[in-house]
Amino acid sequence: MERRDFLASLGAAVVASQVPLRATGDPAAATASGRITLLHTNDTHSRIEPFGPGNGAISGLGGIARRATLVRQLRQQLGSVLLLDAGDTFQGTPYFNRYKGRLDYQLMRMVGYDAGTLGNHDFDNGVGMLVEAMESMEQLKHANPPFPFVNCNFDCKGAPALNQRVRPYVVRTFPGIRVGITGVGVAFAGLVAPKNHEGITWRDPYESLKPIVKRLREVEKVDLVVVLSHLGYNLHGSAPDDLQMPGQVAGIDAIIGGHSHTFLEAPTKVPQAKGETLVFQVGFGGVNLGRLDFAMARGVIKAASGVAMPVLG
Amino acid sequence: MKLKPSDLLLAFALLSVHGAAQPPNTKAEVIPITSTIPEAEDIQKVIAPLAAEIKATFDLPLVQAPQGLFRGRRGEENLLGYWVSDVMRQTAQGVIGTPVRFAITNAGGLRSNLRPGQLKVADIFEMMPFENELVVVELTGAEVIQVLKEGLVRRGGEPCSGVKAVVEGTPEAATLTITWDDGSPIDPAATVKVATSDYLYGGGDSIPTLKKGRKPFTTGITLRQMLLDQCSSIAKAKADLVPPKPGRYTIPVPVQAAIRDKTFKL
Repeated sequence: MERRDFLASLGAAVVASQVPLRATGDPAAATASGRITLLHTNDTHSRIEPFGPGNGAISGLGGIARRATLVRQLRQQLGSVLLLDAGDTFQGTPYFNRYKGRLDYQLMRMVGYDAGTLGNHDFDNGVGMLVEAMESMEQLKHANPPFPFVNCNFDCKGAPALNQRVRPYVVRTFPGIRVGITGVGVAFAGLVAPKNHEGITWRDPYESLKPIVKRLREVEKVDLVVVLSHLGYNLHGSAPDDLQMPGQVAGIDAIIGGHSHTFLEAPTKVPQAKGETLVFQVGFGGVNLGRLDFAMARGVIKAASGVAMPVLG
Repeated sequence: MKLKPSDLLLAFALLSVHGAAQPPNTKAEVIPITSTIPEAEDIQKVIAPLAAEIKATFDLPLVQAPQGLFRGRRGEENLLGYWVSDVMRQTAQGVIGTPVRFAITNAGGLRSNLRPGQLKVADIFEMMPFENELVVVELTGAEVIQVLKEGLVRRGGEPCSGVKAVVEGTPEAATLTITWDDGSPIDPAATVKVATSDYLYGGGDSIPTLKKGRKPFTTGITLRQMLLDQCSSIAKAKADLVPPKPGRYTIPVPVQAAIRDKTFKL
């Protein structure tokens, strides 16, 4: 047993005797008491260096070496931290043209990313090159483990090398809190040339999410469900998006979005069948780092917004 | 499993936090990555030599462009796009060995202007960061006209080579005349070779009719490499890169306004 898991299990057992059980009487959920900070980026687009002058309001902002410092400081202060990315890591600067995404993923591992998802531009050089970039990140010699990619609406059976690298979800356990992370990607039509997504079939994100969220809640018994979404913030009903997702798929606590390069100042609270979902997105190009804290208190998830959200399942 | 005293101590330390009656402070915020945050040394150590490598390649001089090539502000023609589509047509013709009558690209894919002066490799990369490939397809004359109409209604005309489009009248009663660039009429039934990008042929952006292209030929040449090669050959001929002449799209100002307001129909 890993030390972290050991601490978690011991912590949960003792806390359980101190806090009353939830009304539903689900012991697995009721025993949890912990907190987690989600740090996140989206659409970093190979912006390894900060934006130069002449870029308006974002001039001088960004840079992955600074992001690393910030993330590591927060990790040291807060302990339970997940660093997540919502896709479109590739394309945008000569670093991508020259290093084909290998550099982006390797640096992300060095910074300490815990999971990422795939955006349309991550397919810009085709599936083969995407897999090569992932492989190079896995093979890097570094103390941080390779980070996984999560997506539940790309059927990658026709692209085995990618299929074995993209997981429908991952679960991470911290003291007193279990977090399930899944991801969804935007439709390829009009965004990715057919030869660049050969072997991959896009499926409806909402329908793909439903069984995954259910499994995370009921089988994996997670306390918090996080979706990394590369659908876009608001498509006004023309296609699936982050704002509609909570109404279509109940049981998601946080949607960390991308694709639309939306600069939100605070997460948007969207009502859903079982409470509320926080939808967040922090622009593009690594200009910002998003932070979302969740705390377990007496068996319910309390979001950063202060709104209590019942633990589902 | 063996327990060390330090493990237990740590566990109790954690419990004292999580078992507290007060919920821990929670936050949701956007943290701007500003210059006040120091760069992580290990990351910077990886980046520095690669940045130098990129700089060395990208600082290489390409060609002089004394006037620059600009995408044009509202109401102006996209001379940069005209140049790109001219090079597409010319390159495609060289590859397939038969005349290519028409070329079209999308203004949205040209990410920056080429400023006047000495162009460097980096300028072309910045303007054309995508790996899009040059593709040749067959369309009928009628489809060429439809392609132009779609670009016109949605974006005020996508950059093209080989044709002239003139809009006359008012937004409510407009007429459109499209001819080949020598002024000769387009035979709707004729089959012509058309150069475009794999992105547009795949249905990207604003010109759905391009998807109907038949007998697609994928050249394997990226638009960027094609432009880099063109700049090199101009420089080798000791010439300057100059923008093509305007006059491919003639659109009255009120019609331009209606296109912007998305109220214009053809």
